[in-house]
Amino acid sequence: MSAAALAALPLQTLSRLRRLVGSGDPEDTFARIIGGERVIEGVDDAVWRAWQTCGGLDRIMAERCGDSGISVTWWGADSYPAELVEDLQPPPVLFCRGDLSVLRARRVGIIGTRTATLAGRNFARRLGRDLSVSGHAIVSGLARGIDIHAHRGAIEAGGTPIGVVACGLDVVYPPEHAREWEEVADTGLLLSEEPPGAPPEIHKFPQCNRILAALSEVLVVVESRHRGGSMSTVRESMKRGRTVMAVPGSPHVAVCDGTNGLLKDGCAPVTAAEDVETALSLESRGSVSAPDPRVRPEGTETTVLRALAGRPRTVDELVLSCGLSVFDAGVVLGRLEMKGWAAESNGWWEALMH
Amino acid sequence: MYAAIKSATHHGAFGAPVVVEIHIGNGLPGFTVVGQPDEACRESRDRVRAALLCSGHEWPNRRITVNLAGVGERKGGSAVDLAIAVGVLVAQGVVPPETTDRFAFIGELGLDGSLRSTQGIAPLAHATDGTSVVVPMSNIHEARLAVADRARGVESLAQLVEIMKDGVPFPDPPTASSVLAHELVPDLSDVRGQGPARLALEVAAAGHHHMLMVGPPGSGKSMLARRLPGLLPRLDPASALECALILGAAGFPVSVPPSSLPPFRAPHHSATLVSVVGGGAPNLRPGEITLAHNGVLFLDELSEFAPTVLDGLRQPLEERVVHIARARMAATMPSDFVLVAATNPCPCSDERISGCTCTPQQRMRFLRRVSGPLLDRFDIRVSVTRPGTQELMNETPAETSAAVAARVARARETALQRQGVLNSAIAASVIDDVAPLTEAARSVLVRQLENGALTARGYHRVRRVARTVADLRGAGTVDADHVLCALGMRRAIDARMGLQ
Repeated sequence: MSAAALAALPLQTLSRLRRLVGSGDPEDTFARIIGGERVIEGVDDAVWRAWQTCGGLDRIMAERCGDSGISVTWWGADSYPAELVEDLQPPPVLFCRGDLSVLRARRVGIIGTRTATLAGRNFARRLGRDLSVSGHAIVSGLARGIDIHAHRGAIEAGGTPIGVVACGLDVVYPPEHAREWEEVADTGLLLSEEPPGAPPEIHKFPQCNRILAALSEVLVVVESRHRGGSMSTVRESMKRGRTVMAVPGSPHVAVCDGTNGLLKDGCAPVTAAEDVETALSLESRGSVSAPDPRVRPEGTETTVLRALAGRPRTVDELVLSCGLSVFDAGVVLGRLEMKGWAAESNGWWEALMH
Repeated sequence: MYAAIKSATHHGAFGAPVVVEIHIGNGLPGFTVVGQPDEACRESRDRVRAALLCSGHEWPNRRITVNLAGVGERKGGSAVDLAIAVGVLVAQGVVPPETTDRFAFIGELGLDGSLRSTQGIAPLAHATDGTSVVVPMSNIHEARLAVADRARGVESLAQLVEIMKDGVPFPDPPTASSVLAHELVPDLSDVRGQGPARLALEVAAAGHHHMLMVGPPGSGKSMLARRLPGLLPRLDPASALECALILGAAGFPVSVPPSSLPPFRAPHHSATLVSVVGGGAPNLRPGEITLAHNGVLFLDELSEFAPTVLDGLRQPLEERVVHIARARMAATMPSDFVLVAATNPCPCSDERISGCTCTPQQRMRFLRRVSGPLLDRFDIRVSVTRPGTQELMNETPAETSAAVAARVARARETALQRQGVLNSAIAASVIDDVAPLTEAARSVLVRQLENGALTARGYHRVRRVARTVADLRGAGTVDADHVLCALGMRRAIDARMGLQ
């Protein structure tokens, strides 16, 4: 747990930590720091003095990690994932929940904006599901919007989600994703560079994005604004020479201008899971997409679903075009929603076609 | 040298009887009013003195003490003027006490001895117990609302003295000019489209369910809300009188006969806590929630109301009365109303998420203002969309308020016969008896509970709304369709809205 303690030292920075971890066995290094030794160069006296007072930190970390089932590995340790050893900026210390061996699967990153459209969220979910069915691990950031939906898709299909987050693994952020957080740790892998208890802070997200990029053999951006956070992941991916792909969006939708910009720059488009598999230079096995688990619509439901095709509609429009009463339209839409064929947002209904 | 005269003073939403005691004794000439009078009461002495002198009576140059009996509570208002003046005359022996004992006296005096029209006569007259009530002639019809033939009108103090002393009969009141208040309730047929919101309004009216509308500006939220009183059954005479008394106590003019239209109150979002729940010096004036008693309280721009005001609504919503307590007095006022609220979906209020430019943080901050415990009390939460061209141009006439009101009345009747209360007040313990579910309906609810779309509290609310939907459709048991309809009426602002 000395590696964890090194990462949790106050005033710690990535470069200091890298040099500390690089200077030998973490246990030894930590003991030397507490003993007052200046293990590396270029660190202020004040920092050394602060570090010297952190005697019990390894014990505290052991406790916190133990409580939350977090394991620790560091650059140079045997357990350190091979996929990150050769990276441009490997995280010096890595905290994880779950099974590190899942990293051996083919890994696809699916990322995008937090303020996604309904269509974007559904596509992310479907992509996560389909790619999981064909055996890929889905790497994402557990953020609101696209990220969480990609993982929900993976979880639904019984796949392996890999979550890379920017806060301590015992700090659930955003809090409403607590359930997915646990499911990812149970069925896949949850990774963070931050020690337990570290709050999510704005400067940590770009650093977290580089790990996400490093772990994604192909990165798919579903929806992103031109200057969105996803673009920093795209840059990290490009630095590492990875394939970046984008999902085309309507030019009228503001949250798609980033992804459409990527496409203009020559990025490959994704409209189905096969596109990603092709990019992974795998043979596309044709119709690998998951069998639709939804109960088929019947009777009036089909009529209403057909009326919803093309664009979102209000109940009033449906009442006029299908000749139903408001009550019946509400009931049919309720059934479609329950079966997963339609979704509502602010009074507008959309069909969820596969 | 002593006289006791019956009168009344305002207390909360209604009046309270008060006995005005007058003592004229030896001592330094003076005039004191005791018994916790407010400013207007204390000013009475100057008005009474001038009125007596102008009416041709002596002002005794002795020590006069006026006590407003019922020492514990504050008394306010100028309505005790007349009682004080009569008391002084009785104590002086000008008017025999045997005649005045049979009456209560309410009214403000002008300096010339005339009786002025006085605010809130109806609740004051109502508070007097069984005796005839003398009121200013200009208020006679309002007083008759409360006490019918027991009200007597007089024009001036001099006229009253003649009646009391010489046995002259009371003058006949002028025939009521029957100024029916404009009872123009806007009709539901004016509303184009808005099917789901109309249905929700009907359900709200039938089951007394509180309702929240979420929609962009210009989607017709307040237009819809204003049509709710027209869907509710007319008030029975007792309720109409109660509403009239409350209006009077709040200082508003009261129409004669009292309006049978359920009241509609729509305070602006800058309203203070006291103006909404009631209170204020000196007699605890009824607030908007009491004025909306038996009717509708509409809060437009719900998220703009001060959080303290919204929190203040929670207890009255639960108990249907509000207890206002102050150091010197306390009052319990009725507040049984249907709450209708409207809000924009987010700060930028673009209805489609794709067009919304708000950050998740902004949306959450916005929603947090309306969410929480108050949000829980809305059984119905519907999204309202701007009507499209198709709906606006639709030639088919929309259903009228009268047609909807007929269904509402039938459903309310059914509910009252079955369980004695409207559906929103069904206790959780009896819900299985009064709202039995079919197997299909049960499985829909189980599914919603299992996938976390419904909380335990929400579950009971959905069952109550489903009961109302079934009543409106004349069904005995609650079917899956009714449950689905009820579930559809709580889609707006769920816990995850704006967060996905």
